[in-house]
Amino acid sequence: MIITSIADHILSPIGQTSEETFRNLRAGDTAMRVHAFPGVPEAVCASLLDEEALRPLYEALSLKERFTTFEKRLILSISSAAARTDIDLASDRVLFILSTTKGNISLLDQAEGFPPERVHLGVSARRIARHFGNERMPIVVSNACISGVCALLTGMRALREGWCDYAVVAGTDVQSRFIITGFQSFKALSQAPCRPFDAARDGLNPGEAAATVILTRAETAPWEWVRGAVRNDANHISGPSRTGEGSFQALEAALQGVDRRELAFVNVHGTATAYNDEMESIALHRAGLDAVPVTGLKGVFGHTMGAAGILECILSMRALEAGVVLPTAGYDTCGVSYPLQISNVERPAKGNAFVKVISGFGGCNAALTVRKR
Amino acid sequence: MRTTHKVEITPTSVVLDGRLLPFRESGEALLTEVYRQRVGDWPKFFKMDLLSKVGFLAAELLLEAEGDRHRGGSDRAVILSGRSGSLCDDRDYQQLIADPDDFYPSPSVFVYTLPNIVTGEIAIRNGWHGETMYYALEEYDPAALAAYATLAFTDPQTRSALCGWVECPAHEDFYANMEIIER
Amino acid sequence: MEELIAQLKGKIIEALNLVDLTPEDIDADAPLFGEGLGLDSIDALELILLMEKNYGIRLKNPAEGKEVFKSVRVMAEYIAAHRTK
Repeated sequence: MIITSIADHILSPIGQTSEETFRNLRAGDTAMRVHAFPGVPEAVCASLLDEEALRPLYEALSLKERFTTFEKRLILSISSAAARTDIDLASDRVLFILSTTKGNISLLDQAEGFPPERVHLGVSARRIARHFGNERMPIVVSNACISGVCALLTGMRALREGWCDYAVVAGTDVQSRFIITGFQSFKALSQAPCRPFDAARDGLNPGEAAATVILTRAETAPWEWVRGAVRNDANHISGPSRTGEGSFQALEAALQGVDRRELAFVNVHGTATAYNDEMESIALHRAGLDAVPVTGLKGVFGHTMGAAGILECILSMRALEAGVVLPTAGYDTCGVSYPLQISNVERPAKGNAFVKVISGFGGCNAALTVRKR
Repeated sequence: MRTTHKVEITPTSVVLDGRLLPFRESGEALLTEVYRQRVGDWPKFFKMDLLSKVGFLAAELLLEAEGDRHRGGSDRAVILSGRSGSLCDDRDYQQLIADPDDFYPSPSVFVYTLPNIVTGEIAIRNGWHGETMYYALEEYDPAALAAYATLAFTDPQTRSALCGWVECPAHEDFYANMEIIER
Repeated sequence: MEELIAQLKGKIIEALNLVDLTPEDIDADAPLFGEGLGLDSIDALELILLMEKNYGIRLKNPAEGKEVFKSVRVMAEYIAAHRTK
């Protein structure tokens, strides 16, 4: 028995499906630009979804009640992924697993007529599941920036444990004054498109996307979601470990029994903050991945938070299918202690698997291996 | 899977392994009293938000009951859940950015607007490199919590877990019900 | 200057929640970071915020903090020279 994926979907500023996003990504498209964000003193360089452009898509969903922006984006992504399958989302054998860091947090600023409890992630998630007629209590993973990979891992585990026959794993975050001013208070934002692993990197860009993967069990299938793990740095709540301990350990656990030569590439977190990228270079080196090509996608999409782990896994699958290692936009000159096999141009891929690695506040790190069979 | 120790903290009581511990204070002052009486050597406690303070103290008491302090390693997971997540600190942060003429967003308040930070605080205190995870639930549901904890044991390295419910809907209002479980 | 140093010590204790410390516990000439007060990267950002909020000083580059936060006295001298309120 293996865990496999049968459908996925990406809603991003450069595409309304996984395929369109992948195509436009390869064509060099990006929505990264400077925005004046209401109520935020400084301009913000970010990759944001355009709510106006999404309106017709929302309308096509024929929603029976009012939903928040956060909820609409998830419903849209889940509906689009499920439309490619014959799954009955209302079935009690379907488990919804949602990934977000801040969910409906902007309701604290503007309630928009929603009741106060709507800001609770569990309450909002239940509304989303009920939209699809599903009465099972959804699982909401809120594990900072690594939530998306944790949600996928939770889905893999729930399937292995027989909790469900299908796990619908979806994630998003809506950029808000709350989140952006918080990153600014950490002096973590770049004023220009970010530059992962580059010597001139100076911070991250906020990003928006929604992404969904539907997982199930199979005897044999084209994709195998092999193994994943979560490990903590046990070092600091906001500063990554100087030795990359948690990330290294997560990689070791996720790659157990996987020949490094099987790996076509590593999809890194690569936020382009000074400390994250340095830490990742150390962790990759310690995990014996110096010779494996590396891709970071934040220079195109920014940090999409709850969507990031899911978005980046889907695009990695598309890259494996296309036989390419995607470029790392913004990278030019190595700015980390251990040089990686990283490039700003697309390269042919050798290998039939990838590992996704990701890190977040609270010292958490996750890694997940996916294989094409 | 067996439970080795349990702790429950409310604004007026602390019960460790079924025994009511004697404290005088209540509300957030109770937490300071618990810290001073039972911990005392971790001044970072005073920088934590309410959610982290409650989760941290619950963990400290469980480890006190366990005796031989289980430090380091990657075999112990920290799996916590709650309804409100970091909402109490979220509101504090929102206050800081509400007035454009008095706009000083604080990084030490913002960092706690992530509900998983409490799991990190516990891992840091003990040097634990095992899995840390936060799940948001619509309501308190012991059966769901027990099930979530078992997921951490699908990781072959997990031998034990510190897990349970920690909830802080508002200042002075908190509830923790946490335990140590072993494979 | 001594008055500003005393005031600054109080503000640092408050901003960084150094609950177990009194102003007398902080040596004005000892390094703020490294050993001693056990301050970290978030505390450094909070000190930048403290200077902005109380004295109207904006550090353009957080790296400047390294020099300014050498000790409470250095910080007080910097504030005296650059304060706008």
